Amino acid sequence: MFSELFLPVLMVIFMLVVGGYAVAVLDRLVASALGTPQAGGIWLAPMARGAWLLTQHANATEAPDWRAWRLAPALYLALAAGGLAVVPWSASLVATDLVTSVVLWGSVEALATVVIFLHGWSANSLLALIGGYRYVALGLSYILISMFVLIGVALPAESLQFTQVVASQEGLWNVIRQPLGLPLFLIVGLGMTFWGPLNLADSTDLAGGTAAEISGPPRLVWDMARAAMLVAFSGVAATAFLGGWLGPWLPGLLWMSLKMLAVLSVLLLLGRLLPRLAPERCVTLMWVVLLPLSFIDLVWAGIGALL
Amino acid sequence: MAVNWLHKFAVRGRVPVFPVLGKQGDGVLQHLALSPRIELVDSPRHASVLLVAGEVPADRFEPLRRVHDQLPYPFTTLWFRSEPWPHLERVARIDDLDDLPGALVTAHRELMEGRRGSAHRLLPDEPPNPWEGEGDFGQGGEGMMGGVPYGRPMAMNMENDIRDGLTLDSLTFRLGPFFFAFPPGMAAEITLQGDLVQTWQTQLTPYPQPLDEVFFDARQRPVPIAEVELARARHHLHRLFHALHLAGLENVSLRTLRLAHGLSASSTLDGLRRALSRRGFFRLTAGGGVLGPEQARMIGGPAARAAGLDDDLRAEDAGYRRLGFSPVCQTAGDTHARWRQLLDEIDQSLHLARLAERDRVHTERTGSVETPRGPWSARRPADASALFDELLPGLEWGDALATVASLDVAGLADQPVGTRPSGESRAVRGGTGNDV
Amino acid sequence: MESMNHGLGVDIAFLLLATLAVVTGWRVFRTDSMVRASFFLLVSFIAVGVIMILLAAEYLGVAMFFMMAVEMTVMALFMVMFMMNPAGLNPMNMVHQERIAIGAGVAGFLVLGAMALLATFPDQPVPAGLEPVRSLGNEMLGDSMLIFESAGLVLLTTMIGVVVLSSHRGRYGAAAEGSMPPGLEPGGDPAGKPEEDEAGEGEHHHHHHHH
Repeated sequence: MFSELFLPVLMVIFMLVVGGYAVAVLDRLVASALGTPQAGGIWLAPMARGAWLLTQHANATEAPDWRAWRLAPALYLALAAGGLAVVPWSASLVATDLVTSVVLWGSVEALATVVIFLHGWSANSLLALIGGYRYVALGLSYILISMFVLIGVALPAESLQFTQVVASQEGLWNVIRQPLGLPLFLIVGLGMTFWGPLNLADSTDLAGGTAAEISGPPRLVWDMARAAMLVAFSGVAATAFLGGWLGPWLPGLLWMSLKMLAVLSVLLLLGRLLPRLAPERCVTLMWVVLLPLSFIDLVWAGIGALL
Repeated sequence: MAVNWLHKFAVRGRVPVFPVLGKQGDGVLQHLALSPRIELVDSPRHASVLLVAGEVPADRFEPLRRVHDQLPYPFTTLWFRSEPWPHLERVARIDDLDDLPGALVTAHRELMEGRRGSAHRLLPDEPPNPWEGEGDFGQGGEGMMGGVPYGRPMAMNMENDIRDGLTLDSLTFRLGPFFFAFPPGMAAEITLQGDLVQTWQTQLTPYPQPLDEVFFDARQRPVPIAEVELARARHHLHRLFHALHLAGLENVSLRTLRLAHGLSASSTLDGLRRALSRRGFFRLTAGGGVLGPEQARMIGGPAARAAGLDDDLRAEDAGYRRLGFSPVCQTAGDTHARWRQLLDEIDQSLHLARLAERDRVHTERTGSVETPRGPWSARRPADASALFDELLPGLEWGDALATVASLDVAGLADQPVGTRPSGESRAVRGGTGNDV
Repeated sequence: MESMNHGLGVDIAFLLLATLAVVTGWRVFRTDSMVRASFFLLVSFIAVGVIMILLAAEYLGVAMFFMMAVEMTVMALFMVMFMMNPAGLNPMNMVHQERIAIGAGVAGFLVLGAMALLATFPDQPVPAGLEPVRSLGNEMLGDSMLIFESAGLVLLTTMIGVVVLSSHRGRYGAAAEGSMPPGLEPGGDPAGKPEEDEAGEGEHHHHHHHH
């Protein structure tokens, strides 16, 4: 009972906390390396901010949809937890080794669209609402591209299970076998977690977008959920393209952590380096450039699987 | 106690400050953005301290009360070069810019440590419009919908969409005068369809902006060209700082600000320009807002030159001619062209400043001066915010805000930066306390 | 894993999920907002999806999550966009044609209930080594491969077609310049725009009043 139920839950909670903290610290490291001074120590600053948000009250807006508004951050955190639960840390260490874990990750992406929209809509406030609308308009294209790319890695594995996907990379990692896959997946990942150049839902031109009207503990949960989603995403990217736990000398767990950190660093660096894309350019990029590229990736993977 | 411990820990972070800008208030932004202990936030919900910077005119008191009430508990306020409303309890007034970051940090610390109570709401907590719901579901009228619950009518009286002919849900709202992405003091009533601007009516014009004293002096007597050009470059860099924050390029915006602070004739723009083009500022970000020739003439200055008009009063000054000055221009006239134009003009100003410093060249023409905001000969460059009403409809929200940031519409104040606007003593008794 | 000898936990989970599905399904008609109604329906579907996972139909259950998530989001947004209800934030009555709906609902419930009670279901224990995803794939793509693939291709073509049609470069030229459908006869008035006329007349009328 303990090892079946509590161990996976504990593992996921541990990852949520450690992963969220790692994102906060890494992002500050990247920022200070790029010349934005960070006060109060990089290691303590995330916790000081968390403490401040805990002391601040959660505010109200005029006639919000209270249930959806308060639930949305928690639901987003739960979705991130769902994503982390299917990431395998080693051949045996995985919270839930579903046979359809690739599809489950796809549902996490789709349900995230719902939760982000609800978060923006339920505040009954203008800028938050635009953020929610924007994410829905763009989220569908992210989901499509991500699905095609992930089907590409499921083909050589002949399975929709992430552990099988990793096992299929024993000889050759997917990042080499399907060279288009990882870059596409990383770009889509920035969109899905609305981070950096693709942060169109919680953007500065909307004064924080879906998060423009929240304060206090709900804001803390939302920030944590966003960070955790980024961790879950990099876990999936490392599993699907970088051979997961595979690697010489070091134990699998360590390899996996290193690969995730590498993906995270790339995402955070891109987030700090690039300006925010105009939504219209983003739509064009997704439908005209990346979606056809993901078809090519899929055909490439199919031919590879046939040969 | 755990809670105490939490508060002590919270003090160690950056102080989130929401600035409400009054007249001549925007100078504090450039000062505070470089202070590592201060975090300027764009939404009042994200702040712990409300900073009222500069004198807020009486017609903006009502919005100020509403912004004040949007800060989540616990919060406190600080008034900079502005007299606090008498009915507010324990609010501090600061006049020295150098004391401001410290005062903000202290206010936040006292708030966290419980030595200062939170500010109170000024307005009663009730919906701005009464509930007028009727029917089983409060839908207001007959059938599935109708009526005006909370004063919000159904969007039935639709305008045709200006882009693709689909008539969809539209939303009308008022934004400003303390919205961070608008010129200080501006407010507008906007109708959006999705995130497409349908109509835009500027309701409150931005405050007149003060310029550096040297532009005022140049109208009276010859002044060193180096001084004029450095002040011009600094003005443009401050605007670029704001636009880069809006575009999400936080570190480059701070770099711009640092460049503006330490600006001298030997400064160079190359690094900044390279960073901007390498990171795709001119290709990836929101743009649009093409000015027609008429509109360009109306606003004047760099925005007009970015649209292809080569009017520049400097070309008529013998001092400038001696330095080999000729106006630089762009042709596209859109947001990105305006930023390219601004970078070119900063470059040009630095170049002119270098030459003028070496040869000690002074301006020779008095009575008229090319300010960074536009030509000032007989009349000061006037407010051009009405331009937005015709320029912005049809743009998406991101493009509209990028356009607003790229246009320097506020008219010139009658006094240079740093001097107190006249009539301040008159306007301080704003909040009457009646509505507490 | 232990699909046959299921424990008490599975029973409890089934009951809770079934209750959730029914309650949220009922809330769809009792709420006053299109967005809320759509997402209550989504919760109902998710509960059904989890029940399917409990029934060892793992792929179908998980697929239900993402299909319904996207579907309900699109539905909610389109309703909000076309109903002229500002952002769907004004309350509105979510039911209409109640009598027909009640009749259809009762009839549907009776038929399905009768089927559940009266039909004899096959009683074949699932073989131990069954791989649900693989067998479902064989079932769908074994004999019907051609149909599924061509349907997929048609859907994809439709998607691309819709995007092309709704893009800036519309059927009647650049959409930004105001698109006009062509007339029914050569050189005739644009087809299908009666409201334009009325609006024009109204304005004329207005002018007359002023003078």
